[in-house]
Amino acid sequence: MNKNKTYPFYFTIGALLLYTVLFVLPGIMGIGYSFTDWSAYSDKLNFVGFENFKTVFSADENYIKILTNTLLFTVVTTILKNALGLLMAVLLTKHIKFLNFHRGIIFMPNVLSTLIVGMIFTSILDPATGLLNTFFNSTGLGFFAKPWLTTSQFAFGSVMAVDIWKGLGYIMTILIAGILSISPTYYEAASIDGANGVQAFFKITLPLLLPTLATTTVLNVIYGLKIFDMVYAMTNGGPGKATTEVLYTAVFKMFSNGQYAVGTALSSVMFLFMVVIGFFMIRVMTKNEVVE
Amino acid sequence: MKKSFRVLSAFLTVGMLASFTACSGGNPMASSNSPASATPAASSQASAGDSSAAGSAAKQENVTITFMASQDWVQDAEIKLGAEFEKQTGIKVDYQIIPSNQYTSLLMTKLNAGEGPDIFGNQSGRFDIQTQLNVEKNAVDLSSESWVGNVDKDAAAELSVNGKLYGQPMGDVSAVWAIAYNKNIFKSLGIEIPKTYSDFKAACAKIKAKGITPIYECVSDGWHHTLWFPEMGPAAETATPGLADNLNNNKAKMADNQTMQTVLSQIKEMATLGYWGDNYMSNKYADTPKNFATGKYAMTVANQGLGADINKVDPKFKVDDVGYFVIPLADNQTLNVNPCGPSRFIYKNSKNVDAAKKYLEFMASDSSLKYLTENVSKFNKLPYSNAPSKYSDTIKEFYARYPKTGTVYQTAVKYLNPQWTEMGSDISALLLGEEKPNEVLKNIDKRRAEQAKTAKDPAWN
Repeated sequence: MNKNKTYPFYFTIGALLLYTVLFVLPGIMGIGYSFTDWSAYSDKLNFVGFENFKTVFSADENYIKILTNTLLFTVVTTILKNALGLLMAVLLTKHIKFLNFHRGIIFMPNVLSTLIVGMIFTSILDPATGLLNTFFNSTGLGFFAKPWLTTSQFAFGSVMAVDIWKGLGYIMTILIAGILSISPTYYEAASIDGANGVQAFFKITLPLLLPTLATTTVLNVIYGLKIFDMVYAMTNGGPGKATTEVLYTAVFKMFSNGQYAVGTALSSVMFLFMVVIGFFMIRVMTKNEVVE
Repeated sequence: MKKSFRVLSAFLTVGMLASFTACSGGNPMASSNSPASATPAASSQASAGDSSAAGSAAKQENVTITFMASQDWVQDAEIKLGAEFEKQTGIKVDYQIIPSNQYTSLLMTKLNAGEGPDIFGNQSGRFDIQTQLNVEKNAVDLSSESWVGNVDKDAAAELSVNGKLYGQPMGDVSAVWAIAYNKNIFKSLGIEIPKTYSDFKAACAKIKAKGITPIYECVSDGWHHTLWFPEMGPAAETATPGLADNLNNNKAKMADNQTMQTVLSQIKEMATLGYWGDNYMSNKYADTPKNFATGKYAMTVANQGLGADINKVDPKFKVDDVGYFVIPLADNQTLNVNPCGPSRFIYKNSKNVDAAKKYLEFMASDSSLKYLTENVSKFNKLPYSNAPSKYSDTIKEFYARYPKTGTVYQTAVKYLNPQWTEMGSDISALLLGEEKPNEVLKNIDKRRAEQAKTAKDPAWN
């Protein structure tokens, strides 16, 4: 095989064309629309400059809260899903009984529809009749029984917890694959040298798992920034004002109110965030890649 | 060898092309049998049937009309009538019931995206159906339908824009949202019907002292707790006559109105004092009859069908065990009437307009109205001249007790009803202590101004 052979540029035209038409062009158009007064109430479009962006960043609106909520959701779920996923993956690559059964159970929530999970959990987390508080109250742990989804104190945490529970299995599965691809010879050598489990984990498993962790981080970050269905089903942005409002629930509400332009402005701001975050993540991920 | 390769590849190419042609040729054949393409044919057949023999039950096959509505709008009795309608006409009705806190967003998204259902439900209201719903663009003009003459004039006015009727009332608008109370609890504690807010508070305190939650409230539905505020419009109007007109002409702001501040402060006070119980944030509207029947709650905001609804859940609880009085926030004693309610609209770009019109005609027939009144407990008198009435003595006495009536603000004031959900979030923020009454009112004013500006209302521009 001739390694120096370079395929001609026109081989990529088809893919580039599709990508441009379906992704780049609508993206640019969306950014364009965020500089207009596009709404459901008028058929005419007028250029309004940065008016919509002023609205998004003005102090008497809570769009900043929506953006910080989205980022908070992304950071918290990414860290916890990775950490807990890694813990589960390490445990479930050991020789334990019913290994696949355990793996299956943890992966199971992931195959359920998010909306259904959300609805089930609104019922489980009901402060009066929900399964969780009933369990706490009946086992003498009444002080743990809280109004999970109905106070600003607990609502966002509850939504994140359910999302972590649901997404954990997926991340765990990817990490299990990563761990299983590490050659057992390293562990053998380490044990001959007298390394204990913790040392083996930090010196062998973790370094060799970093590329896999980078992948799961990217997946989690993208998922977190785009979160919609879980929040929509569990709190719809409530309780109160924007306690759990995230970007896409806010954009959805704006579109349904006919405020298209502000909605696209908000998406554009988030798009910028994603580009910056994405750029740095790709830089970090490809840093150690060897080019053949 | 090379030659045979060429022959083979030529064969394969021809075969592949042939399979493409076969596929594309096969498609129209296949799709001509699909329900989607059968629809126009069927509906044209329907309109032919209409013109030849009006009212005849000409069967239409393979037509399904979609009817999207918010939770609690489509009654079980209507769904049963829908099955009967299908039997008679062959038109199937697919009811899409959406949770109430998501309905407006979803409907408006669908309409704005040009993908509306054949029939959709929406609250009536002469201002809102024009500015928010844009019925002239989104709904079919129903003025020439046979049932239009029977619709109550006040109800029809709230469904008309520029003299054209766009909707069909689907609920009883004679009922008012009032405090429904358990007569037995009131009697055993010696509580009289409160006429002022302080009486009301005293009654709540007495009830709470007995270990009964005074008021059943359900914030999680997103709409019910909002009622406490705009339903008090008549109180604000009594204190400041002409307020609704001034609000509509942008000459007054809600944030400047003392009565509205009082109403919101009192809502917050009741919740803080524990008169709404511990679980008002998560209670559900659908559970009201069940919870009321247990006797653990003494009052709730409801319309005049609650007694019958509770009786259905628990036959030991008599319909007349539930009494009503107006919400006495800000010492209100005016009956808060509202000629508006959930209504059916036909989507203008629907492919099944004729079938949908038939459904509306069927629902407004004498027999359907009778069936609905008999089988839906909260329907006492539907707003049609051909609908029967079933007011009980309790309800007659309740209406007679308040000779003075006033229209609720979600109907009397422009740009208020469309922000019902946002208003609900503001009020729940008030309950959670995140906002003050003044801020809630300022937010409502702000949203009104935004909507008025986008609707190019001359009073705001």
